Amino acid sequence: MRRSLLDRKWAGYVVAALSVFLLTLVLKIVGSHVNAATVSLALLLNVLFIATRWGSLPALLASIVAMLCFNFFFLPPLGTFTIAATDNWIALVAFLITAVTAGQLSARAERRAEEAESGRREIERLYAELRDAFERASHAEALRQSEKLKSALLDAVTHDLRTPLTSIKASITTLLDEVREPVALDAESRVEMMEVIDEESDRLSHFINGLIELARIEAGELQLRRRWGVVDEIISAALTRARPITQHHRVELDVENELPVVRVDERAVSEVVYTLVDNAAKYSSKGSTIRITARRSGDELIEMAVEDDGQGIPHELRERVFDKFFRATRDGDVSKQPTGTGMGLAIAKGIVEAHEGRIWIESGNNGAGTRVVFTLPIGDEDVVTPSQQKQ
Amino acid sequence: MTDQPRILVVDDEPQLTRVLRTGLKSRGYDVRAAADGLAGFEAFNDWHPDLVITDLAMPNVDGLELCRRLRAISQVPIIVLSAKGEEKTKVEALDLGADDFVTKPFGIDELLARVRASLRRANAPASSETTQSIFDSGDFHVDLDSREITVRGKPIHLTPKEFDLLVYFIKRPGKVLTHRTLLAALWGGNYVEQNEYLRVFVGNLRKKIESDSASPRYILTEPWIGYRFDPGQ
Repeated sequence: MRRSLLDRKWAGYVVAALSVFLLTLVLKIVGSHVNAATVSLALLLNVLFIATRWGSLPALLASIVAMLCFNFFFLPPLGTFTIAATDNWIALVAFLITAVTAGQLSARAERRAEEAESGRREIERLYAELRDAFERASHAEALRQSEKLKSALLDAVTHDLRTPLTSIKASITTLLDEVREPVALDAESRVEMMEVIDEESDRLSHFINGLIELARIEAGELQLRRRWGVVDEIISAALTRARPITQHHRVELDVENELPVVRVDERAVSEVVYTLVDNAAKYSSKGSTIRITARRSGDELIEMAVEDDGQGIPHELRERVFDKFFRATRDGDVSKQPTGTGMGLAIAKGIVEAHEGRIWIESGNNGAGTRVVFTLPIGDEDVVTPSQQKQ
Repeated sequence: MTDQPRILVVDDEPQLTRVLRTGLKSRGYDVRAAADGLAGFEAFNDWHPDLVITDLAMPNVDGLELCRRLRAISQVPIIVLSAKGEEKTKVEALDLGADDFVTKPFGIDELLARVRASLRRANAPASSETTQSIFDSGDFHVDLDSREITVRGKPIHLTPKEFDLLVYFIKRPGKVLTHRTLLAALWGGNYVEQNEYLRVFVGNLRKKIESDSASPRYILTEPWIGYRFDPGQ
């Protein structure tokens, strides 16, 4: 309350006049110990105080009142507004000019300081507003991107579910039609319809298994059953499974002698090899060679690679092909329809990384084709060779 | 050379073309398949099919581009295969000249019905589009020359626009007509976004000619796409 009174406009003038009178009274009481210079300095200080606190006009009032008091109480003849000595006139005028100038300068400096402070506060407010707006916009953009991604993923998933479902439904209804009203469907056609249903059901099942596997990997719930396994056997299991898809290719296997056994989830690693061989067969021409190699890399790693003689993957896509549902044709030709579910490499990467390994893509040895390489740590116990393990 | 109607199936899914080839052949159609729009267009030029069934999403030349190219040289009926959620592309295909669509997954019966309807329309263009001046559905009777219409024996009044809309439907029985196509034909190119015009006029027309306008029998709605006139014969 007291503060708000002092902040009122008229308070400055009242304080200006009163402070000068009070100061004059105090100076008068201790009059025997002060000279004119001390009085003028004290009054000047008061003017500066008023200017700083209440601004230029109260300071001007304080200057005039101070000049009058200085003249009346301290310059001879005392008790009058007349001045006897010329030098006292000069002192009084100098006092007045100094008081007014100092008061105005001080008030202006105070005003500037206040303006600067207010400017700083305004900048801070604007900055905070901008930051909030930016955060809101970033959040909205992130949400939008996330929604867009979800929608793209949903599109990819529904397409992959719907396509085999369409073939199955068309086949089933053709067969049903034949039962309801016999049409010219020969035995061969009937078998073909059933084959389509069989193959497309497998395709759906494969896709759904892939989705489940991906979901597990993304949730960090991939349960690895690590055991000491032999690299030859892991690769051999994958190749046996891949035989139907590699029957038109030449498969070369190059496994380094005396490779140590590795502590991995054999089934999962075999799945990685199978995926890479499956991709190699899909993206290279019939009759070409698929090379599978396994060797030791340093003391702690096993490096495996699957290489084909296809068109290769452009450098700019070599990271993206590991993204889920990303499907590219190997030579980057967008006019060709990508094949596969877009999940194989994402799952392979998940499995390799769950083993603390790394997977990447490079060009084949002859500069063409694709070579997918992955490493796996041998294991966290003493390295043993297969012969030692058998003992 | 056979007298079986020829159907060209264009789809990049080999399993689906296998099924469609067998299913359609069993119903007496001569079928060829192509794996993309480009191969489909070439097959069309070589083989001159009576009807084309095409997927929309395909490599090289997609279904939309195939519709555009086919319409530039031929009036062959085109049925597009589309998925739920592809309404925009479906409408685009119909606007480009496709005659009908089937939504995946579909039963072979549904496809066969669309094939028969499209072939029937294609084989009888002269009677329905140019010369026939009387239309009788059983429920209502329209004289295109005198612009008179009777519904269940009673003469009724249609506004000029309602009459034009009805005639437009009658001349294109069974064909899916997009909002844009109807608006452009009856109101002009500046009104192709004014779907509410159609809703109002189709609503009025249904009240006047349908026995139950809430469950229309003749002017059927294709949700998000447009309307289809079923002559009911």
